[in-house]
Amino acid sequence: MAQINTAFQLPQSITEDTLAYGQKVREFLDGQTRPAVFKAYRIPRGIYEQRQAGAFMVRVRVPAGMILPEQIQRLAELSRTYGNGVLHITTRQDVQIHQVKLKNTPIILESLLEVGLSSRGGGGNTVRNITACPRAGVCPNEAFDVRPYAIALSEYLLDSESSFNLPRKFKVAFSGCSQDCALASVTDLGFFAHLKDTTKRFSVYAGGGMGSNSRIAAKIKDFILAKEVFSVAEAMKRLFDQHGDRTNKHRARLRYVLERLGRDEFIRLYQQQREKLQQEHLQAPAIRSIISTSKASALSSSATTDKLPDGYKNWRKINVLAEKKPGEFTIRLRLALGDISADDFEKIASLADMVGEGVIRTTQLQDLLLCQVREDDLPFVFAQLSGLKTDVLTAHGPKLIACAGASTCRQGLCRSRGLATAIADKLRQTDLSIEFGDEVIRISGCPNSCGHHLVGAIGLQGRAKRVGDRLVPCYAILVGGKAAEAEARLAEQVELIPAKNVPALVSDVLGVGQPLGQAGKEQIAKIAAKYSHIPTIEEQPDVYRDFGDTEDFSLAGRGPGECGAGVMDVIQLDIDQAKQSLDRAKDAADGKAKSEVLYKAIVAAARSLLITRGLEPKKDREIFTSFSEHLIEPGWIAQETKEFLDQALDYRLGDTDDISHLEKSVEGMLGRVEELFRSLDANLNFRVEPISKKLSDKESSKGNKQAIDLRGVECPLNFVKAKLALEKIDLGQVLEVVLDAGEPVANVSASFAEQGQEVLNVGKDGEHFHVTIRKKKQI
Amino acid sequence: MSLTDQQIERYSRQIILEQVGGAGQEKLLSSKVLIVGAGGLGSPAALYLAAAGVGTIGLIDADKVDLSNLQRQIIHRSKDVDKTKVASASEKIEAINSDVAVEVYSERLTTANARQIIQHYDFVIDGTDNFPTKFLINDACYFETVPFSHAGILRFDGQMITVLPGRTACYRCLFNKPPPAGLVPSCSQAGVLGPLAGVIGCLQATEVLKYLLGVGELLTDRLLIFDGLGLQFREVTVNRNPDCRICGREPSITELIDEEQAVCDLRASK
Repeated sequence: MAQINTAFQLPQSITEDTLAYGQKVREFLDGQTRPAVFKAYRIPRGIYEQRQAGAFMVRVRVPAGMILPEQIQRLAELSRTYGNGVLHITTRQDVQIHQVKLKNTPIILESLLEVGLSSRGGGGNTVRNITACPRAGVCPNEAFDVRPYAIALSEYLLDSESSFNLPRKFKVAFSGCSQDCALASVTDLGFFAHLKDTTKRFSVYAGGGMGSNSRIAAKIKDFILAKEVFSVAEAMKRLFDQHGDRTNKHRARLRYVLERLGRDEFIRLYQQQREKLQQEHLQAPAIRSIISTSKASALSSSATTDKLPDGYKNWRKINVLAEKKPGEFTIRLRLALGDISADDFEKIASLADMVGEGVIRTTQLQDLLLCQVREDDLPFVFAQLSGLKTDVLTAHGPKLIACAGASTCRQGLCRSRGLATAIADKLRQTDLSIEFGDEVIRISGCPNSCGHHLVGAIGLQGRAKRVGDRLVPCYAILVGGKAAEAEARLAEQVELIPAKNVPALVSDVLGVGQPLGQAGKEQIAKIAAKYSHIPTIEEQPDVYRDFGDTEDFSLAGRGPGECGAGVMDVIQLDIDQAKQSLDRAKDAADGKAKSEVLYKAIVAAARSLLITRGLEPKKDREIFTSFSEHLIEPGWIAQETKEFLDQALDYRLGDTDDISHLEKSVEGMLGRVEELFRSLDANLNFRVEPISKKLSDKESSKGNKQAIDLRGVECPLNFVKAKLALEKIDLGQVLEVVLDAGEPVANVSASFAEQGQEVLNVGKDGEHFHVTIRKKKQI
Repeated sequence: MSLTDQQIERYSRQIILEQVGGAGQEKLLSSKVLIVGAGGLGSPAALYLAAAGVGTIGLIDADKVDLSNLQRQIIHRSKDVDKTKVASASEKIEAINSDVAVEVYSERLTTANARQIIQHYDFVIDGTDNFPTKFLINDACYFETVPFSHAGILRFDGQMITVLPGRTACYRCLFNKPPPAGLVPSCSQAGVLGPLAGVIGCLQATEVLKYLLGVGELLTDRLLIFDGLGLQFREVTVNRNPDCRICGREPSITELIDEEQAVCDLRASK
């Protein structure tokens, strides 16, 4: 039997918090707590609602990615009893149980507590799981074992209530060497282990992160003593707490603080926090070294090595890695997209009980590892793993990592998981003569980098490209990205190709016969260029559909309130197209040629912003009508624009054949469209002032206060319209409603109060009333 | 998507509801629901879902309107006799609400087409009158992970349950397979009181709207039984069956199968 002397200990405060959770759920289910309030309570406890109504996910933190067999046993039982029987490993080493009912979450959390696990801080604006190199303690390259620090820091930070109410999430990672398997160079706070003689030290990086607006972390300190991690993390947490932007969650992460303050000021404030802390005498938990003794399994002795089964040799080559201690090995269990059935996970747990260090590791590549496995045990382990339903033994290509993608994420453009599966399928059919190593293909479904495409050997970033009046799902091909201490860099785009060509491209690149990391940028660019052609829909309708879609690609369903860089990307495409056409108009030889390109510029410019209003008209006439209604009428674009849109339409219908005189006007319109585009906030509202401050009941002026005039509108339609206007503003913002006296003012105010909104003021103004309402809850 | 003035007025009584609002209405307008069977249960369900502004309604039925249908299948009129049921029903839907796009399939739901059709929808209503199709809907919905509302009516009684495949008890967890030939007659032979179809079909429509809006407690893991003569609703708690042939731990059904048509056997033995 394998043994390990230590593991993560949950602080007492977490136990108490978990035991109180059941009561909160019961209160909510009994209708005593409002949904918004309960949601704010639930998410920091790692309980997320899934896309399907009534289904919840529990994200269990696994500090340093170390999980014990008995803990896995419990997770498996819970998943089978209350969830869908599958466990999911995240890129931050957590384990998730999916599709459970809310009413069952208390028993799940209490049951996890019994085996020392918790989902506290699994979500929300909290200190998230603290990660470490998946092979810490056994990796030949590491300076020293970083797990004791990741675990002790988890215990320290989790014991503090303030870790659960930060401006936004706060992620910490430990890498054992500069190769950065833990991605410390692209996280909020990253530590790299270094040895000076026998002194353990860390270099400190902060303000990195993937997701939207990806950034490489900046170096904050060359070296700290290893035992100083507590005060460094505490100081950084306090800096974040004080300077993070709580009013805008889209710009709240530590990297925005760094960007706003500048590196020098950021470091100065951090130093200030550390000095303050020195006087406070921080109570840090003990750092416990991890000692595991690996013993050969009794069962293995019977397994002879005389006759090795098929596939063993190849498995040994690709999935068995040497460790620093000779004769002991790490076994990699490859999981497709991080999913494993509870039954199989349980079997792996029993195996871990018999061989190796007695622990299972979860990895940033969503795989599992068994470490310190003795040479003699390898055939036995192979035989055991062969008996699983999940194929964890073979690999037909490099590891694929994908974000959730458009099938579940509303910001997503492309179905990244569908692409990952398609690439895997393609590679299965391809005879790859080359050896692939540890390189990773990383896929994000949109320009946000949740799939970490910016640090992949090959990065794939979901995009949309317009061809005529249709959209084609595409991926930008990026190369050269890398996470590493001091030399981390974000990948650069070499080509944009249709999504459906990506599997063939990947197969081709691998066919060159070099590991991915070494295939040069130019070489990949050259191959990618072959795949960049977009056929017409008649030639190849399939190219106009994303993986797993039966309908043509569209952006329907992504509109107001669902800010996505994906949407921004499409607007940019249209604006670029309009600019190009306008440039060509300047060089046009004659009035006819000029009119033609000017017309194109008008259509592209008019179409660009309509998606922010949830519209995607196809015909030119509809584009002009929608543009008038949604952008000119409310005053965002100058009224005069209407006239030349009419002229453009005349041109289109053949009533006039020269619109070359409109060049200056088109330039002006495009300039304003661009200005509006640049001012879009996270809710797709314009932050600039409208040109004319006309108040209509559709769109109101964008000041601090929104207003809607509902005089002459009868009950209850006035309330309906006021409610729709309130839906459009952010929580905490104020809406002013102008209403007739009598029933309207009485009913509308009372109805808002009944539905949990705050009526700030009801003021008489001549014949009518001004009712001011603050949005207190989401509608 | 933003609502037009007409839409705001049309749907005002449900936009007013705290749990719906404009966002909820937009959700409904972008949702797709498939109704299998444009008969007794499908009629009220289709009419209410159309009125509520469910953006796309699919109708599948191979039959033509028969005079004997009109006693309970209220979407059809006397003048519709001999028309296909889907054509007759889609005319009514369009007359109620032109926001709704109707997709019609004038065919039976079979092992060959079920998954292909069902996968396009967010929710399926089982408004069929025979066991083989009920199992087929259950299985196809399981494979495509599309939730559905099962219901059945006979004489003065009705029963229903909502299934979220893979997460809550499915129809096969309750009933492993169709009853043996001759044990249960179909409603065409046994008779049924018309409003029964209305009660249960309307409850199915309620479940659909709740699911699409993500509000309330769905009728999952409990079978609702309606006794029209005693005028009582009763609930039986049901659990996922670990030995369920399709959603259990070791499923034996891995593709769509044709269950025996018990009704035909009964007819033949007469």
